[in-house]
Amino acid sequence: MKFRCEREILADALATAGRAATNRTGTLPVLSGVRLDVAGDELTVTGTDLELTIRLTVPVGGQIDGSAVVPARLVADIVKALPSGAVEMTLGDDDLAISAGRSQFSVRPLALADYPAQSEPDVEPVTLASDQVADALRQVVRAASTDDARAVLTGVLLASEDTGVKMVATDSYRLAVRDLPPTSMLETGQKVLIPGRALAELQRLLSGGHELQVRLGTREAVFEAGTTRLTTRLIEGEYPNYRNLLPPSYPNVLTVGREALLDALRRVKIVAQAQDATPVRLVLGGDTLQITAITQDVGNATEEIDASYEGSEMTVAFNPDYLAAGVEAVEGDEVLLSTIDPMKPAILRGQGHDEYLYLLMPVRVP
Amino acid sequence: MPARHVGRPSAQRTVLHVDMDAFYVSVELRRRPELVGRPVVVGGAGGRGVVAAASYEARRYGVHSAMPSTRARRLCPDAVFLSGDHALYASVSAEVRSIFDRYSPTVEPLSLDEAFLDVSGAARLFGDGVSIGHRIRDDVRDDLGLGCSVGVAVNKFLAKLASVAAKPVARPDGIDPGPGVVAVEPGHELEFLHPLPVQRLWGVGPATLERLDRLGVRTVGDLTRLDESVLTAALGRAVGTHLRALAEGNDDRPVEPDRRMKSIGHEETYSADLHTVDECGRELVRLADAVASRLRASGQGARTLTLKVRFAGFRTITRSVTGADAVDTGPAIVSALRPLLASIDPTPGIRLLGVSSSNFAVPSTQLSLWDQLDDDAARPGPGVDRETAGAIDRIRERFGAGAIGPASSVDRRGLRVVRPGSQQWGPDDPSAR
Repeated sequence: MKFRCEREILADALATAGRAATNRTGTLPVLSGVRLDVAGDELTVTGTDLELTIRLTVPVGGQIDGSAVVPARLVADIVKALPSGAVEMTLGDDDLAISAGRSQFSVRPLALADYPAQSEPDVEPVTLASDQVADALRQVVRAASTDDARAVLTGVLLASEDTGVKMVATDSYRLAVRDLPPTSMLETGQKVLIPGRALAELQRLLSGGHELQVRLGTREAVFEAGTTRLTTRLIEGEYPNYRNLLPPSYPNVLTVGREALLDALRRVKIVAQAQDATPVRLVLGGDTLQITAITQDVGNATEEIDASYEGSEMTVAFNPDYLAAGVEAVEGDEVLLSTIDPMKPAILRGQGHDEYLYLLMPVRVP
Repeated sequence: MPARHVGRPSAQRTVLHVDMDAFYVSVELRRRPELVGRPVVVGGAGGRGVVAAASYEARRYGVHSAMPSTRARRLCPDAVFLSGDHALYASVSAEVRSIFDRYSPTVEPLSLDEAFLDVSGAARLFGDGVSIGHRIRDDVRDDLGLGCSVGVAVNKFLAKLASVAAKPVARPDGIDPGPGVVAVEPGHELEFLHPLPVQRLWGVGPATLERLDRLGVRTVGDLTRLDESVLTAALGRAVGTHLRALAEGNDDRPVEPDRRMKSIGHEETYSADLHTVDECGRELVRLADAVASRLRASGQGARTLTLKVRFAGFRTITRSVTGADAVDTGPAIVSALRPLLASIDPTPGIRLLGVSSSNFAVPSTQLSLWDQLDDDAARPGPGVDRETAGAIDRIRERFGAGAIGPASSVDRRGLRVVRPGSQQWGPDDPSAR
């Protein structure tokens, strides 16, 4: 195997595929590497931890076809640090030579024979509007759990319902639901659970603005954008019935400017975070919204912003990070915060943007 | 802040150290007058108990606090042993405190039975430090039927030494009532201080004492005559400087009225070692219940919870966990500490278990979405826990701490609720309950 490639392109490819490689102990050592395959003038870089696989193809000046698995982190760090210009990689008998300008490195490869083969679902691809998907991912993936103790909650639910497709995530404390137009990707009534981590990676890949093609199998899903392909295993298990969590009606509605609310939260969080995750209290009633953080040791913060409110006066407290994440996620200039009482879930929506909601459980304070 | 010299009028304070005389015993004698004049010991009566307090009659036999109860029994076989009632002592302590509050807004309690008062500003209202000391003694005697000793000086360190000199003394031939109030007059501090044995200085433990002894230092005065470089070489700069300042009568520490509690905890030494996971789990629930009660009483929640385990061989380990919620309920404390307990093998025998809480904040609970689901209602969520806790508090307020407790704390002797402070002197004799 021998090829030349521009440093920026190669560094980017190694970093992207490397995000799927793993350094977890107890896994195959070869999974800490990325696989390089040269065929003609194409280099394919693959990283996988068996759950998630990222594979991308970049143009190179190919000289000798061949394959190798190299330590992902080490080689990515080397290439990133090389002077800009062309980088040459040459696979020898027992090492990979990396050279650029007057820099010379040799790296010991990992066992190519141990690298797992990739399986592909045999289904027709469906094309989706990548802008819309990227937008939905940005709004929903943030609510997925990162705690492996309850694996289904680390997934994002895609469910085909009568009215269209719902994208749903929850970590038990908040719940994000986004409506998408119907798609032929899912049959009516079909549900799949895609790992949130894979979708977070997909979100990064979609920044290129390419068309997105999806192939949904029974065990895995494949996303392709441009020359990058992301394959993820699906999560098995019964997703909780999120619709039961959505209250039928809300007696109290606060309308407040999104930017003003975000700015106020950012400031109050300075004090709230100084003593772990101190909750922020929202004092609802009248034509201002008061936001306070009260800590025992550090100090207090109070913000007041103009708002309109219909409902009964109350104080409701939230985890400041969860609240800010919800306000960030909604679209539009005005945010609607609907509440029942300080113990019941509250809903954030963007005014005039009914396709998305962010349900949030309060923090109970005395 | 530069060292404040004794006797400089502009900076002069008047500090009182008030120490109750045989406090726990005296409180017991108020309700057991038939025991007055007899040797009485309060403390853990069981095999591993220690003496918390001894009446002056018992002290004549050499019994003193922190002594193992078994040794106290040998020294004074006629002594009456009482297991101690921390709740009572705490409520009497609060009454004593309200007397202190008459004379100064600046009161720093050190424990249930001693406190510092800064009375610098009270001279025009109540007279000088000595007069205030006598008035406090009179009030405590008249209102509460208890005795106390008062030290008066320009700082905390000297005031505390003075109160010791004011105390009653038990001698084999009888009890000397002591002067009651001792003042170290400004300008005469060194006359008082220098003849005292050097171990009376705050910070002189056995190791330091041994080093000083090798240098020929026996009294506080000896220490001041030692060359600074010799002292520093023997004890290190920090300790040397500290002791030198004390030996010269200097102590700048202010009387701090609201020193916040840094932790709330309970630990229990068992009269028989625990050997099984089940036993330890039950004890965890009991201790957590008691700690949670006190957290709620103080209006605080704890983010950090610590489990302490002392094995039969005295090896002691502590393990902590810090969570996002500031918890104040038993179940929340148990669920945080149970994984830590599960990682400990009890088979070598566990002599002591302790649960403590720290890193306080306003109690808060992140509610869960699943609390909302009817079909999940059987699973108690944190919201339910806090309502239950409120009900427990109201029941205990009306009917006493032992009126309600975790079901796992019921055994053939009935419900065993941890009473605050009941165990600080070791376990009671189980057969005596």
